[in-house]
Amino acid sequence: MADLVNEVRIEERLKIKIGEAKNLPIRSHGSVSERDVYCILSLDQEEIFRTSTIDRTLNPFFGEEFQFNVPRRFRFLSVYMYDRDKTEKVIGKVAIKREDLQIYHNKDHWFQIKPVNQHTEVQGKVHLDINFERPTDENSPEKLIVKVSECNDLTLCHGCCDPFATISVRLTSGRVETRRTRVRKKTNSPQFDEKFTFELRSWRKNSDSRYNVADVGDWCELVVTLYHDGGSSQFFLGEIRVPLGQNIQQSAWYLLQPGKRTYVKSKPESLCSDMGSLRLKIHYTRDYVFDKRIYGKLRELLLKSCSVQPITSSACYLLGEIIPNKFDAAQPLARIFLHHGMIVPVMKALAVWEISKITDANTIFRGNTLVSKMMDETMRLAGLGYLHETLKKPLETVLTERKSCEIDPSRISDSSTIHTNLNNLKEYVEIIFQAIVNSALRCPPVLCELFHELRQIASSRFPDNKEVRYSVISGFIFLRFFAPAILGPKLFDLTNKHIDSQINRTLTLISKTIQSLCNLVTSRTTACKEQYMCSMYQTFYTDMHVTAIRQFLEIISASSSLSHDKNNSRVILKEGVMTKRAQGRKRFGRKNFKQRYFTLTTQDLSYSKQKGKEPLCTIPLSDILAVERLQHDSFRKSNMFQIVQPTRVLYIQASNCVEEKEWVDLLGKMCYTNHQRLQTYHPSAFVNGHWQCCFSQAESAEGCCDVSNETQLQMNIDSDRELARIHSLIVEHMDRVQSIINFCESRSVLGTRANDGDFVGTCIIEDPASCSKTLFDLRDAAVDLQTQTRIYLRKIARETKYGSKQAPIGDDNYLLLANRIDTSIKTS
Amino acid sequence: MSRAPNDDLPTYKLVVVGDGGVGKSAITIQFFQKLFVTDYDPTIEDSYIQHAEVDGQWCILDVLDTAGQEEFSAMREQYMRKGDGFLLVYSVTDKQSYENIINFHTQILRVKDRDVYPMLLVANKVDLVHLRKVTEEMGRDLAQKLGIPYIETSAKDPPLNVDAAFQEVVRIIRNQPPAELEKSRRKKKKGLLGKCAII
Repeated sequence: MADLVNEVRIEERLKIKIGEAKNLPIRSHGSVSERDVYCILSLDQEEIFRTSTIDRTLNPFFGEEFQFNVPRRFRFLSVYMYDRDKTEKVIGKVAIKREDLQIYHNKDHWFQIKPVNQHTEVQGKVHLDINFERPTDENSPEKLIVKVSECNDLTLCHGCCDPFATISVRLTSGRVETRRTRVRKKTNSPQFDEKFTFELRSWRKNSDSRYNVADVGDWCELVVTLYHDGGSSQFFLGEIRVPLGQNIQQSAWYLLQPGKRTYVKSKPESLCSDMGSLRLKIHYTRDYVFDKRIYGKLRELLLKSCSVQPITSSACYLLGEIIPNKFDAAQPLARIFLHHGMIVPVMKALAVWEISKITDANTIFRGNTLVSKMMDETMRLAGLGYLHETLKKPLETVLTERKSCEIDPSRISDSSTIHTNLNNLKEYVEIIFQAIVNSALRCPPVLCELFHELRQIASSRFPDNKEVRYSVISGFIFLRFFAPAILGPKLFDLTNKHIDSQINRTLTLISKTIQSLCNLVTSRTTACKEQYMCSMYQTFYTDMHVTAIRQFLEIISASSSLSHDKNNSRVILKEGVMTKRAQGRKRFGRKNFKQRYFTLTTQDLSYSKQKGKEPLCTIPLSDILAVERLQHDSFRKSNMFQIVQPTRVLYIQASNCVEEKEWVDLLGKMCYTNHQRLQTYHPSAFVNGHWQCCFSQAESAEGCCDVSNETQLQMNIDSDRELARIHSLIVEHMDRVQSIINFCESRSVLGTRANDGDFVGTCIIEDPASCSKTLFDLRDAAVDLQTQTRIYLRKIARETKYGSKQAPIGDDNYLLLANRIDTSIKTS
Repeated sequence: MSRAPNDDLPTYKLVVVGDGGVGKSAITIQFFQKLFVTDYDPTIEDSYIQHAEVDGQWCILDVLDTAGQEEFSAMREQYMRKGDGFLLVYSVTDKQSYENIINFHTQILRVKDRDVYPMLLVANKVDLVHLRKVTEEMGRDLAQKLGIPYIETSAKDPPLNVDAAFQEVVRIIRNQPPAELEKSRRKKKKGLLGKCAII
């Protein structure tokens, strides 16, 4: 199995909610007690998300959420807070080390806002060769040769970086000698390759010579400082200090550090505490994903869940009990079963059991159970395209028109507007209502199948209750899908517009009305809970509306034999602004970069000058022969990728690393099924008459590299990764596994079989013997995987050299890692 | 009810939270409209305003009835920021809803950035004796652990303790020491400084 350990991916998923800030420092001028604040979320210093601006307050509430798969290694997750004053001005930031993210996992937490200056923003590393040259004869001095070869990932100053380095050698006598490199232009990873020689003049050997006492001494310290050459002024980018003692590594990477002198001078932390604080909720997971063969046992154990009798002895059910947070368990479980096409049988088995425990048909799936959470995740995965298709347009209308819809007299000053507002609200509800009820045929087949099964189960459990067949479905499609999406369109990626309090209220009212309509279908009385809503309901409580909803629910839960016109529909998968290089129809002339609005649908990729404008160019999916990243040196631009078409290549730059990954993954997936897909490609661009990678001069020359093979196909689900997540969760809650095992064993020893099930916490065990068997299997699978992880980590620790590019000197992350491996080996 | 002694009465914003289907709306409607709704219609967000007399003092009660489904958790912190007092409701017939109380409790304290806040633990549906899964003892244990008072209610006619529950929250709000806020905030800050990872 040892060879399986070689290919390991580290997958990180991050969801961050930027809640609110409080007690921000006041402005120094103008209206002091208010600021216009927005936040920028960054990986190191690369912006990946920004919130809307909250005007005129020192306690802004953002309530915005952003989630992404982490595309690259990073050291800090930072939230910078800006004040949109006359000029954009940074207020401060919250920076969290990657290693510390797990401490704050899944908790709301108030973070102190810290100041931002050149010393807090230092990043990157420098590679040095340090050599001593011993004198060959008596008269020549001892030499120190320092070679500054290159730097990596330096800080950008206002988006650019023209770096140079100064090299200072300090002697014990206090004498300092300083040299500098040339300036490199427009790069934050400069190649210097410059050598500097320093001489030590020996006191003993030159006792009669002309040197002063101050000139001699022994080597003391080497200081390399990086600056950005900003014309008239220099910007500090970081420094490293190497004591010139005995144990110097000759050739090593060093992590740049904040300046020493100014660092000491800056205020102690307690004085900065008046910068206010920011509430964040971070959901961070990191998994080591091995080759898929390693997960065979765990996968098999999970997938056979649907056939296990009783279901309470299945791995799927037990995981839901072992993992305290239902959502944490439901997300990977739903994805794994969906990926393997087994979601319907497993949901059916679980739902039969859950419904059998319910005594009142009214409370069916109202709580937060494993089935409801898995259903929720399935709807989000399989139904997102459908949701966008259905709600994007009508919501766009609501968000752009911004008509006032407040009809609660206690929230309004001028009661004469209520009538107009009521009409506005009615209009909006009608638009959205129609959009939903007319979308039935486009509901994804897998969801229809699930609804069908749920309906069957519910009606056979409560045969006398005619409404339960509707309430069981509307409890999912409306209550857990459409209603939350209308309320929080941003969370479902339905808009990127700012939701202010007025819009928020409008969306709440629409969502309420739609939900109450569904309630009407399933309940016998027409109680109006809030008085002011009554006139609203009068319009919508008509037979026509009720029938429409009933029909909608019928169609989406009919058995799957209904045809779905999937083929001729054109669904937008992703859109956004990117920069593309001119496609170069002319052989000569400048090929510059232009910003375009890109739209990827299930049929083609197109771009236009702006959102909503006529496309300038449309590329059918069949013409996308390969989608690959582009080497950085091609155009010296980061986050670039290429789309290979039959006659030319389109080079595109995404706005940040997260965007780039999402586009490349999605386009790659679309292209994968293209049977004309290329086998090889050029990792670099064709510039000035040759390919930069293989120097072939024919533009049509066959690629020099194999295309990357995506293993993840269905709905972007990476089942190995989800299995790795399940594994991490089992390991995390091993104590709970053990306590249920202990409980089962005590039951089987006693030989009593419980009638109504037994409880460990909320866990119900019907058959202790088979249940403990499954738990043993789960535990064994997890222990096996744990061994693999340990082997891998040990290997990494062995292979990683302190001073290498991965673990530069001064990087405490490396020390942490080494430490952790050490302790994990000891405990094992 | 229509009697409004004077206009500048104190307003208390109360928020009713808890899992789906535990009877949040039933309690709220029983309190405001004095009737028991037999249908369980899922709520998105309903608000009710009324004058009320608690311990001889008049006040305005602004009550927000919320959605129990976690799908709406994005809205939660909005009302958590605004609420002056909270009713944490679970159903004695649904153990999961009892287990989830702690999450509501934690989130409220974190959003408020306080160590204590006016809250009341409400065990609902106690009329369903034969279906009861969460005992009174378990409820009291949890209340003690969280450091908040406990009450058992039933919204079904004749209602049990419904008015008492709302009045109790008002009492808790009124009785909180005014210095509590400053004190707890300062303590939090000190604790945070050490933990924050900053360059």
